[in-house]
Amino acid sequence: MKALLTFRKLFAQQARGLALALLLSLIAVASGVALLGTSGWFITAAALTTAGLAFNLFVPSSMVRGFSFIRILARYGERLSGHNATLKLLSDIRGWLFARLFPRLPLRDRSLRHGDLVSRLTADVDALDTAFLVAIGPIVAAVIIGLTLTTVLGFLLPLAAIVYGLSFALAVIVVPVALVIASRTAGKLNVARAADARAAVLDGIEGHADLTIFGVLGTAQSGFTATAQRLSDAKGQLSTLTAAAGFAVQALAAIALIGSLWLGLQALSADQIDGAVLAGLLLAILGSFEATSAIVRSVGKLTTAMAAAERLTAIAEGPILVSDPVSPAALPADTTIAVNGVSFAYDGGAPVLSETSLTVAPGEHVAIVGPSGAGKSSLLSLLLRLADPQAGQITLGGTDLMALNQADVHRSMALLSQDSPLFNDSIRANLLIANENADDDALWDSLSSAGIADFIRALPNGLHTVVGEGGRTVSVGQARRLCLARALLSDAPILLLDEPTSALDRVAEVGFFETLRTAARGRTVIVVTHAAIPDGSVDRVVTMGNGRLV
Amino acid sequence: MTTKAPDQSRLDGKTLSGLRRFGGGWLYVAIGAPLLGGALLVWQAWILSSVVGDAIQDGASLDVLAPGVITILALLLVRAALSAIGDRAGTAGSEAIKRTVRSLLFSNLLSRSPRAADQPQSGAAAAAIIDQVEALDGFFAKYLPAMIQAGLLPIAFGAIILPLDWLAGLLFLITAPLIPIFMALVGWGAQIATDRQARALSILTGRFADRLRGLLTLKLFGRDQAETAGIVSASDELRKRTLKVLRIAFLSSAVLEFFAALGVAGVALYIGLTFIEFLHLRSSPMTLQLGLFLLLMAPEVYNPLRLLAAHYHDRASAKAAIGEIEAQLGKLPTEIVPLADAPHSHQTSALGLTLAGLTLRTPDRARVILSDAKLTVAPGEHVALLGPSGIGKSTLLEAIARLRDYDGQIDIGQRPLTDWAENDLRDGITMLGQKPRIFAGSMADNIALARPNATAAEIRRAAELAHVAAFADALPEGLDTLLGDGGLGLSGGQVQRIALARIYLRDAGLILLDEPTAHLDAALEAAVLDDLQRFARGRTLIIATHSEAVASRMGKAWRIAGESLLSTPMPANAKRSIA
Repeated sequence: MKALLTFRKLFAQQARGLALALLLSLIAVASGVALLGTSGWFITAAALTTAGLAFNLFVPSSMVRGFSFIRILARYGERLSGHNATLKLLSDIRGWLFARLFPRLPLRDRSLRHGDLVSRLTADVDALDTAFLVAIGPIVAAVIIGLTLTTVLGFLLPLAAIVYGLSFALAVIVVPVALVIASRTAGKLNVARAADARAAVLDGIEGHADLTIFGVLGTAQSGFTATAQRLSDAKGQLSTLTAAAGFAVQALAAIALIGSLWLGLQALSADQIDGAVLAGLLLAILGSFEATSAIVRSVGKLTTAMAAAERLTAIAEGPILVSDPVSPAALPADTTIAVNGVSFAYDGGAPVLSETSLTVAPGEHVAIVGPSGAGKSSLLSLLLRLADPQAGQITLGGTDLMALNQADVHRSMALLSQDSPLFNDSIRANLLIANENADDDALWDSLSSAGIADFIRALPNGLHTVVGEGGRTVSVGQARRLCLARALLSDAPILLLDEPTSALDRVAEVGFFETLRTAARGRTVIVVTHAAIPDGSVDRVVTMGNGRLV
Repeated sequence: MTTKAPDQSRLDGKTLSGLRRFGGGWLYVAIGAPLLGGALLVWQAWILSSVVGDAIQDGASLDVLAPGVITILALLLVRAALSAIGDRAGTAGSEAIKRTVRSLLFSNLLSRSPRAADQPQSGAAAAAIIDQVEALDGFFAKYLPAMIQAGLLPIAFGAIILPLDWLAGLLFLITAPLIPIFMALVGWGAQIATDRQARALSILTGRFADRLRGLLTLKLFGRDQAETAGIVSASDELRKRTLKVLRIAFLSSAVLEFFAALGVAGVALYIGLTFIEFLHLRSSPMTLQLGLFLLLMAPEVYNPLRLLAAHYHDRASAKAAIGEIEAQLGKLPTEIVPLADAPHSHQTSALGLTLAGLTLRTPDRARVILSDAKLTVAPGEHVALLGPSGIGKSTLLEAIARLRDYDGQIDIGQRPLTDWAENDLRDGITMLGQKPRIFAGSMADNIALARPNATAAEIRRAAELAHVAAFADALPEGLDTLLGDGGLGLSGGQVQRIALARIYLRDAGLILLDEPTAHLDAALEAAVLDDLQRFARGRTLIIATHSEAVASRMGKAWRIAGESLLSTPMPANAKRSIA
């Protein structure tokens, strides 16, 4: 519930739409209750009357018709306005989540699987955004209807008001609360199991070739079947609780009706109530149960929404590990990079960098080589301020990186990482990510610098070719070159390249370094590589080993 | 996006109904329980109206009324229990169906060729198998029981009421069947609109997955605000599309509300007018008890229809979901393809390889990658396969591993590849692909993928040979460290070494490696290759590489140039310098 309250601001933004939906739903239920009550009173009064044709028909018949039409219109309006507000809320929540995620990247939690993230964004956000429409709204409406009818009973049949009021309160407040508490664990389990199942599907497809090669498709199949069974079991558990609560609500409604009936009959035999009024009240009570019928379903959705809210806040309200300074320094024009005695380790792990120092002058091309795991990629992360060192200092143009806005740092450095992705979009759109104002000439320049212009030109759709999910429609090597072209297209004065040639053959590799020399002239280049660097293609080669420069 | 032909929609509906067979007995309970509840409702309404009517009109004493009141309470409780049982059974049935459909789809995906042109994107497939299948839920758990109730109960109620009061009975018998007709008219429009919406949702889900995968890259290029705005505007587009559907869909329930309200109001007026003797349509006089009974039953006649309307969109979304599932993953299979692991035998005899007239194309067959290739690798030979990136080295290895279609002849151990039984083939050859998958699980689990029954000691040995142990031991949990989807938290070189460790758990006669050391520095590469070559002694080894240093260690080298496979002189043993 606490997690759900985190979203109250977002809910408040749609307060008007949601309030309208709530009001309309109240009107709909109330006119339904009034319709039945009036009808019951009317026919009984008509049966008892001795006035014959002199009986006043006009009032009851117009009330009956009026309540009918109000009900129809209110119902339609409630549904439409409720869904509209809910869907607006949906885009708000999605935007909120993205805005929260960006400053928290890269996420440290290693168990945060990609499939799990997708699940959080779609399913959890969906569960959350319908929380009002299907969960909170009907409960509020039921409470108000119950209170109103209890008050009416209080005037006409005071004892029945107590029985009805208590039963109704138990049905719309106590049972839902009990169900929420009882199904909290089951709800969480449900969401987690769905995420597991999604991850299993992703593993099966992305790892299809590996599974086939090792002849373990049977293991994968039985593993998935077990995952699907666990998801089913979790749903079943929740359903049992829901069914039990549903029974409780209906049983309480039965008690409310029978109690009111018995007390009403007593009052009738004591001449304390008019027969027509009693008939009307009993029918109204029956009608008011319409409001309780949705309660249990609402609670189920509420539980799911609460679990979703907790998961979302866990990721979106986590600590920001790298934050901008309160009063950031201006980005210096000078692009000298100085690393002074920097030590770094991930989350209390073994030190990755220890007292490393390195200075790179503006426009200088430096290659960093050294064995895998020597801390080369980590050094690039620190330069980008994706993490802060535990000791030492990194300066850009003499200003401490920590005094600068991250966005400014990122603007001055373009990274080609080992796992740079392509997006499921056109080649042009993929390149423009680096520099949205680039014209076609600039695009082609960067493509030829990356040695892939000819390939793109030969494609029937050229720059408009859509590269599939994860760059599936191009080979790994071509995907790397496209990512490289993207980095080159950015107007950052500093290029950070992490293994830019790992998917290239030797001829292309040599060609790449030679092109880099000219393509990046005037820019600072720091390239982390295992490749044999052709003579004269960089100004300086430094070697890293065991977390320091040697 | 074109709208679906009504034929397709009918077909989707048929497929959907066909799935009922997986639901077992639970679905019958889910359908039967509310029907029994409906029958008890008539009894309950009759007694309730008698009690109230007798009390008000005839002034019956409480003692006379008491048994009736107790019966009503009992009936209410039994009906409450029946409804709970029906709900629970509906979920059980629908879960059984969803579970089966998920297994059907997943197994069907796995049973196809991994590199077939029609293999879906992973994000789309996950959305289909998890989310779209979930969307079938309401159809079986709610819609199906509601549909049967709506088909039977109003008519049954009408038939019971007809002999008691012909006019009210007729009103119910005529309006009840009319309502679904009106609703169906509205429903057609809603269905078409829903189909459009399902596609939009699918595209949006794809966009999330896609953008998430590269969220860090987007951040570094300063796209955070643009992408946040992009997600919001995409969701807003979704809202507009959805509302278009809903405006129509909600009309169908408005039609129903109209008739239901009309029914109650009409019956009330009719009874009232009869009582004051304005209308004389009955042969016998109307009692208050009968009047109340008719009024109590009036909403109940329409209630099954209202319930159906409430779950009507469940059918529409389930049909759209089936359509989307079949669009993404192909026709829904009817039976689960049984898949079994290939038994692992200890066979170490080296397998030779012969290619003759081999032609390889891209999966869509649009482009020739390799044409009329010829190659002979003797058993036990170690061969390098050179060529620029993107030229087709990986494709060739995948064809040899029978992951891809090809034209021409591939013989392994002098047997045509097509003649190999799958189990024998997987036992005899093994491969490390260029983009090995790191599965959710521990590092040890990931290595043991190659042989699920491997002992901890065997896994440990494989990890040492592949130089995984070196970095695993530096982690607090060693080989038990959990790895995320896609190998988050690992460098490219570490992923490759974990995948390489899998090879050491197999006892294959032909080993195919695709750029096994691409991310490694020269010293580690040399160490890894030393162990690899020692392991591969007496086995046939083919390494696709662009590194001349790797190639120079092999016995022979072939090169792909243009669309041809050519024998090439061995590169000089030029070790790559570190600096």
